[in-house]
Amino acid sequence: MAGLVEAIIDIFSSESTYINGALFAAFLAFAASGELVAERAGTLNISVEGMLLGGAFTSAIGYHITDSMLLALFTGVAGGLIVAGVQAEMSHRLSADQFVVGLTLNILVFGLAGFLDNEIQPETKLAGKWEIPLLSDIPIVGQALFGQRWPFYFLYVLLPLTWWALFRTRWGLELRSVGENPQSADVSGIDVNKRRRQSIYYAGFTSGMGGWFLIFGQVGLFEDSVVGGRGFIAIAAVIFGGWTLRGTVAGCVIFAGALSFRLSVQGLGYQVNSELLQSLPFIVTLVGMAVFAHRVRAPAALAQPFIRGLK
Amino acid sequence: MNPGPTGRSGADPHAGSAPAVDLRQITKRFGAVTACDGVDLVLQRGRIHGILGENGAGKSTLMKMLIGLVLPDEGSIHVDGTPQQIHSPLDASALGIGMVHQHFSLVDALTVWENVALGEAGRLDPRAIRNRIGDIADHYGLVIEPDAQVGDLTAGLRQRVEIIKCLRRDPTIVIFDEPTSVLTPEESLQLFESLRQVVADEGRAVVLVSHKLDEVLHATDDISIMRQGRVVDRMLSVDADAPTLARGMVGREVSLRSERAALGVLVVDDADTVNEKAHAEAAGDAVLAISGATVRAGGGILALDDLSLELRAGEIVGVAGVEGNGQRELGDLLSSLISLDSGSVTVDGVRIPDGRSGAMAKAGIGVIPEDRHDSGVVLDMTVAENLVLVDQSNVSTRGVIDQRALETFANEMIEQFGILCAGPNAPMWSLSGGNQQRVVLARELAQHPKVLVAAQPTRGLDVGAIEYMGERLTAAAEAGVAVLLISSELEEILDLSHRIVVMHSGRIVGEMDRSAVKLEELGLLMGGAAA
Amino acid sequence: MTAPRTTTQGTRLGEWIGLYCLSVLAALVLSALLVEATGGDWRPVVNALLDGSLRKPGRWGETLGTAAPILLVAVGTIVSGKAGLINIGQEGQLLVGAAFGTYFGFLIGGPGPFNLVVIVLFGALGGGLWAGVAALLKFWRDVPEVLSTLLLVTVGGQLVAYGLSQSWLLLAPLGDRGNRNQVSKQLPKDNRLPRLEVFGNEIPLAVFIAILSAIVISLLLARTVWGFRLRMLGRNQRAAQRSGVSRTGYGASALMISGAFAGLAGAVMFAGGGFAFGNYQLVPGFATNIGWTGLLVALVAREKALIAIPVAFVFAGLRTGSSFVGATGVEGRITDVIQGFLVLALLVPPAVMFLRDRGRARAAAGERA
Repeated sequence: MAGLVEAIIDIFSSESTYINGALFAAFLAFAASGELVAERAGTLNISVEGMLLGGAFTSAIGYHITDSMLLALFTGVAGGLIVAGVQAEMSHRLSADQFVVGLTLNILVFGLAGFLDNEIQPETKLAGKWEIPLLSDIPIVGQALFGQRWPFYFLYVLLPLTWWALFRTRWGLELRSVGENPQSADVSGIDVNKRRRQSIYYAGFTSGMGGWFLIFGQVGLFEDSVVGGRGFIAIAAVIFGGWTLRGTVAGCVIFAGALSFRLSVQGLGYQVNSELLQSLPFIVTLVGMAVFAHRVRAPAALAQPFIRGLK
Repeated sequence: MNPGPTGRSGADPHAGSAPAVDLRQITKRFGAVTACDGVDLVLQRGRIHGILGENGAGKSTLMKMLIGLVLPDEGSIHVDGTPQQIHSPLDASALGIGMVHQHFSLVDALTVWENVALGEAGRLDPRAIRNRIGDIADHYGLVIEPDAQVGDLTAGLRQRVEIIKCLRRDPTIVIFDEPTSVLTPEESLQLFESLRQVVADEGRAVVLVSHKLDEVLHATDDISIMRQGRVVDRMLSVDADAPTLARGMVGREVSLRSERAALGVLVVDDADTVNEKAHAEAAGDAVLAISGATVRAGGGILALDDLSLELRAGEIVGVAGVEGNGQRELGDLLSSLISLDSGSVTVDGVRIPDGRSGAMAKAGIGVIPEDRHDSGVVLDMTVAENLVLVDQSNVSTRGVIDQRALETFANEMIEQFGILCAGPNAPMWSLSGGNQQRVVLARELAQHPKVLVAAQPTRGLDVGAIEYMGERLTAAAEAGVAVLLISSELEEILDLSHRIVVMHSGRIVGEMDRSAVKLEELGLLMGGAAA
Repeated sequence: MTAPRTTTQGTRLGEWIGLYCLSVLAALVLSALLVEATGGDWRPVVNALLDGSLRKPGRWGETLGTAAPILLVAVGTIVSGKAGLINIGQEGQLLVGAAFGTYFGFLIGGPGPFNLVVIVLFGALGGGLWAGVAALLKFWRDVPEVLSTLLLVTVGGQLVAYGLSQSWLLLAPLGDRGNRNQVSKQLPKDNRLPRLEVFGNEIPLAVFIAILSAIVISLLLARTVWGFRLRMLGRNQRAAQRSGVSRTGYGASALMISGAFAGLAGAVMFAGGGFAFGNYQLVPGFATNIGWTGLLVALVAREKALIAIPVAFVFAGLRTGSSFVGATGVEGRITDVIQGFLVLALLVPPAVMFLRDRGRARAAAGERA
């Protein structure tokens, strides 16, 4: 028993736990911030997985062609936007069922990325580390927050940007009204489905960036399993966080913690059965949702398609 | 064609200038139905114009064209003398036309100032908006807290937000669409005072759309009566009287008391009333007894607050009250849609588990719900299926539905209740509102209920349908059913009830026999003042 | 008040068929372009697909055998779909069902047919229980089932992989493992699902079970009181609540029935799948996307069980055909892509028709666009 306690203390005081945790959390946050916007507008966008993978793949291709990580960022975002485009246009212009489209997109992107990866086999590598002076010397968490590779820092711009867009602009106000009461918004002269489409494109934008971050800021190479279902954890983080930005980030941190915990356990040489450990983040996600989903308020019109005249 | 310059407000300073709005030969068709047929209407500045007509007369459609939600098929709209094309609410707003909507314009989750800001263009400036709200509050006496959440406000306050939202854009033409359904008689009077102020300012033109005769008679300067899509009569309000208006609305002499009630004429001191509604000598115990019902809503508010009510067989009890005082929750309770935090519901002395699906229905409580689309019908199912929604035992054997029995039953009901539809297999969404209501009525009565709850049963129906519903409810009571009529239309309550209770803030605050009704007292109770 | 019908019934049917043909064609053309763009040639791919799914001897039996579990999953999905629930965890429910069937099958043993029944029943039970977890989370804690069923797919996969690494659970004894680490015992010949020999093709019994299920469920949904009330729940939950259809009772059971069908699919894959499905042995990754495919079939068939039968066959054909595609030099994954394009393409016609009808009605009504 003492051994177990020792092990836990060991893990929690090791810098690598926090570094890995921050990486996972950042990845989730890229995706979750966009998903938050999409869900506040009333869409339940389960193609996040496809957006992330698409962004990761196109950024890898971009780097393979241009040797520039910065250009790879643009191709990555483009990839996310393309997937978002299919989702947005099919479910909020053509009125196809958003779950079917989302699910199919995930499978399609997975197949396409795998297929093309085999053909092209893009070469990528990790970006360089940028250590922020002074701040990165803070014990335990300093390296995790300020000593990462440079793609990581884009998050520090994206999160405030998302907050500002959602809560300080007219666009954000209209978006939120569309997610709460699309009928009222419509009568007030707002184009409901247009705002919803835009929210999905925003999610594509952030997830595309997230895919780029995944390749160049965290993993260093592309393979079709590089996202591995974590897009869905991002969705869970939004719900866990009660559809607020703060809560979403908290959710990302907690779920990332579960992901990194596993790595730390193995990295520090402790022997625990790997399969059960691998399912830990997903179980934590489920438990987290069970505990919190009850007490938070979802956008009232979440996942309800809006078609004028049908109410 | 234009009424003379003198009206209630005295000499009209705008006489001779172009009218604020001039609708010429406006026509609108929806498929085979002509909603508006060659309508000519003129709105003058500085005057309140009442558009009177029953539900379905075309007044809402006409206003929708003015506000940009619908495009006319023929005719033209002239604003201040210039012909205009109004394609969207933003266009209308740019022309200075604003509407105070009845229901679908506020977002509950947002604050007052956010709602007021919704629907405009340009940068979001919370401080400017808050200041503007303050200005309007001072000027018109419409005080409101800008940072309050709209979802927490009462119906009367929400209407205030709607008005502020409309006035903020400085409209020159303001349309009020059926504004008094959410107000007590007192509040209605206050509203009309505000209207006077609105009109006096900068020569605005105000339109009051209503199906209530008394209201239009007393609150307006000019009246246009619409019937079946046409304007059938125009007059100055000073020259009008109730019989003339009633005649215009329905196209014939109106003498039956129930018709007058349907037209929104309060009939209180009629000698017939007392005789006809002689209190039912129903003996014995209550069929339905609600005792101490309490339901907590979000935010700590009590939707139902220790509510107690008893119903005897054969009597019609009218629950009067302004919308938003717990009527919806009362209906939901009796539909097994919500559970009680405390209290009980008993039928014939047997306690019914609240919140358990189907328990109320099985106990013999039939319900015509407030919003039939919400819990009354399944739009995607057929008429026949909707007729057996609650109980399929008559049309099934051993769990399998007997298609032929179903069709036979459906045809019987269609015939008996005069339901206009393409047949028992027609999808529910293809029926008109009135006919859908008939399906609900048919289904509930076919169960031979002990109690029949009718919540806002005639909302949105035309005079004929309203009368029909009234007849059916009266017949049900005569057959021994205990009828609970929940309605925010006082006329309806007064017309049909044997006994009236008043509901306010989730509890019963007063009770009186129909024969002993005093309108003032009723109004006060509805407004929450002690009797 | 509907817009006047300007097209006759016949023209309308023609429009539908035309739209579907166009969409499918677009999907296929897009796939062909993809093949060409990566240096392949689409003609041999098409031939390989047809050979693999139908033409070569024994292949259409193989396709039917593959279609069976897909159809079972689809039928289950339709049940929960009609109740208004979104179950996307079939892949996990299938796997857990297969694991249950395997474990209890070996545990209880018994003569061939008896053992078979045990496997199948416990398979359904396993899948049903796994879906039951999601049902519990939903009806007790309001967790959206679209997310819980999804997350449970991964959890289920890990749990079964764990089980396959432990001898006391699913792992075969040392001598029986061959050269693999995580594998169950192999089902003895007598306990396997029998097959029918028809024109040189072997059709497993599972096919008949699946088709029968589709027909039965279709009838139950349309003709029985249970089906009526289930549909009511899916269409208008509040009206259902008023009418005595308990959201929890009907909803949870529908979700568990859905899981049971997926579990059943897993069980018949284990007991009757032959080479295509692990050769009567359970391994990690056993589900091989059958669950996902079944879900897509249900969605494409627009929740009509009888239509799911041919659709399942088409999707199965893509799978069995894809094993022949590799030989043409084109990556076998192309069939996943074709499948994805097809599903998206099949979503377009109903959307277009719906929008066009509404557009016509609204133009007649003159409302703003």
